Amino acid sequence: MDLAVYDLKLHQGRFIATILGVGLLFTIVLAMNGLYRGNIHDGLAVIQATNPDLWVVERYRGGPFNEQSSMPEYYHYSVKAVPGVERASPYIIYAVERQIGNESRHFSIVGYDVFGGLGGPQKIYAGRGLQQAHYEMVAHAKLGVRLGDKVPLGLHTYKVVGLTKEAVDNNGDPVVYLSLPDAQEILYQKDNEEVRAQRERLARTLNSQKSLSPVAAANLVEALAPDTHIINAILVRLKPGADPTAVVNHIRQWLYFSVYTTQDEIQLMLKGKLSGMTKQLLLFRTLLMIISVVIIALVIYTFTMEKIRSIAVMKLIGAPNLVIVRLVLEQSLLLTFSAFLFALVLINLTYPYFPKTILLVPEDEIITFIVVLFGGLLASILGIVQVLKTQPAMALGGQ
Amino acid sequence: MEVLRAEGLSKIFGAGRLEVRALEDISLSVSAGDLVALLGPSGSGKTTMLLCTSLILEPTQGKIVFDGQTIFQKNGWSGGVDIRRLRREKMGFIFQSHNLIPFLTARQNVLFPLSLVGVKGEAAHRRVMELLDYMEIADRADYLPAILSGGEQQRVAIARALANNPRLILADEPTASLDTVRGKKVMDLLKKIAKENQSAVIAVTHDVRMIEGFDYVYHLKDGHINQTP
Repeated sequence: MDLAVYDLKLHQGRFIATILGVGLLFTIVLAMNGLYRGNIHDGLAVIQATNPDLWVVERYRGGPFNEQSSMPEYYHYSVKAVPGVERASPYIIYAVERQIGNESRHFSIVGYDVFGGLGGPQKIYAGRGLQQAHYEMVAHAKLGVRLGDKVPLGLHTYKVVGLTKEAVDNNGDPVVYLSLPDAQEILYQKDNEEVRAQRERLARTLNSQKSLSPVAAANLVEALAPDTHIINAILVRLKPGADPTAVVNHIRQWLYFSVYTTQDEIQLMLKGKLSGMTKQLLLFRTLLMIISVVIIALVIYTFTMEKIRSIAVMKLIGAPNLVIVRLVLEQSLLLTFSAFLFALVLINLTYPYFPKTILLVPEDEIITFIVVLFGGLLASILGIVQVLKTQPAMALGGQ
Repeated sequence: MEVLRAEGLSKIFGAGRLEVRALEDISLSVSAGDLVALLGPSGSGKTTMLLCTSLILEPTQGKIVFDGQTIFQKNGWSGGVDIRRLRREKMGFIFQSHNLIPFLTARQNVLFPLSLVGVKGEAAHRRVMELLDYMEIADRADYLPAILSGGEQQRVAIARALANNPRLILADEPTASLDTVRGKKVMDLLKKIAKENQSAVIAVTHDVRMIEGFDYVYHLKDGHINQTP
């Protein structure tokens, strides 16, 4: 005789309301799991999609993702000359907020050497890759543009020639691929008025120097114009059979750069930029699990206390403790299991609508289910203790 | 045949200045088919007596023999006796406030003690319907206690007490929550059960109007017992 089910049938309204409440808490736990995975996925997406053998960045910097790195573009020629290096490509990535259609959108621009360089999109699901030196773009589907769209960025308009779903930046925002000069221009090109004002300020300073002739000063104004040929990293592909350690040491010792493998870059991100959010999500998940268990425990305790006289009657007529403990345990597990099932269905139906990437992984769901089940068992302890303490005499109105 | 014998039973709660002697040197014997009434005012020790004879409360002194087996003597409960098993297999309980399990139907309430002793399936169903029929409440078998009247609930409670053909039925104020007519009917029913089933019945009551036709009537006062004819 399944006492737990009969009891729940009588209180099905309250039971269903509790399932919905606890289920929503479990949904948030599952969403946090997905957010945690999504955070890591997004944070590493560009690194993993680009996947060169080596990332060469400014010395003592953990760039270009975990920390800013800045270096002159022409250094990639020096890197290319290092024994063992097959290809060395300049690379730039930065986040912007621009008007796309009628909306202000956050996205990241990646600039790379279109003609055989590394760092471009690997998988394009519609259209083609960049083929021209200027005014073409490949955009992530999340940006909401279509093939053939003209997107104004800075001083020029760029035609969408390809669409990818491959990489998002570490905020989960879409990535737009441009040729290196286009990307540099959008980043460094100043407003014409600002350029004129800056030149005039420089010319005034130089003209005030009595040692400079007006012609020399004018030449210097040209020469001292800000350099826009700046990149964040040089991507390296090694020759087959090349010793990566030898190449890394050579670049470090002779060119004074920091060098990381793709695995090193991943670790830099995991221990750096991503770690704070990861710990925060872990803390939230733990707190939510504790709250869920406490709520289940209180609900089961209340259910048990409401039946305490019936439990005393059962004990009086000789029901073994096991029968009564089973009643409490089954109710706790039924509640936990049903709430988890509700949460699982809900999160699977809603995860695409979350603003941040929610990556649902079966192993996370299994682990959460085990933890939740353990929580359900734990939650029933309060009720079980009460059951064991109940005296059969209570049924007679005595002791 | 003797079902229950209590010899020199005492129960003392507390100690020193707080000591309360709830039962003092009580002796009684109940045989199969006997209908015994325990009468007394509030605080006379009726419930304590019932708790001791139903093997829930351990007496301080004395001896309890149930169904030929010594269950308690001065050293405490006899070793090797599963008291809960004795209660579920050989005792039936009827309460003042019916105490039906609210989430079980009348049928399931009667089925519950049967399921505890392993009677299942068709045999259990047959027994349940037989008892509900006997109590003239078979047409209410699938109702929850909340929609049954007080008298109907008490009849279901009696059916539950009879489920396992108990040797001893202990009834705690079985008519207290019923009007006089329904109370009389319940008492008549208990008499009928005692004679037909050869069960010993001990009914605790403070209502002298209900004890007509009982075989033995014991009066409890301040923990002392006196038998009246």
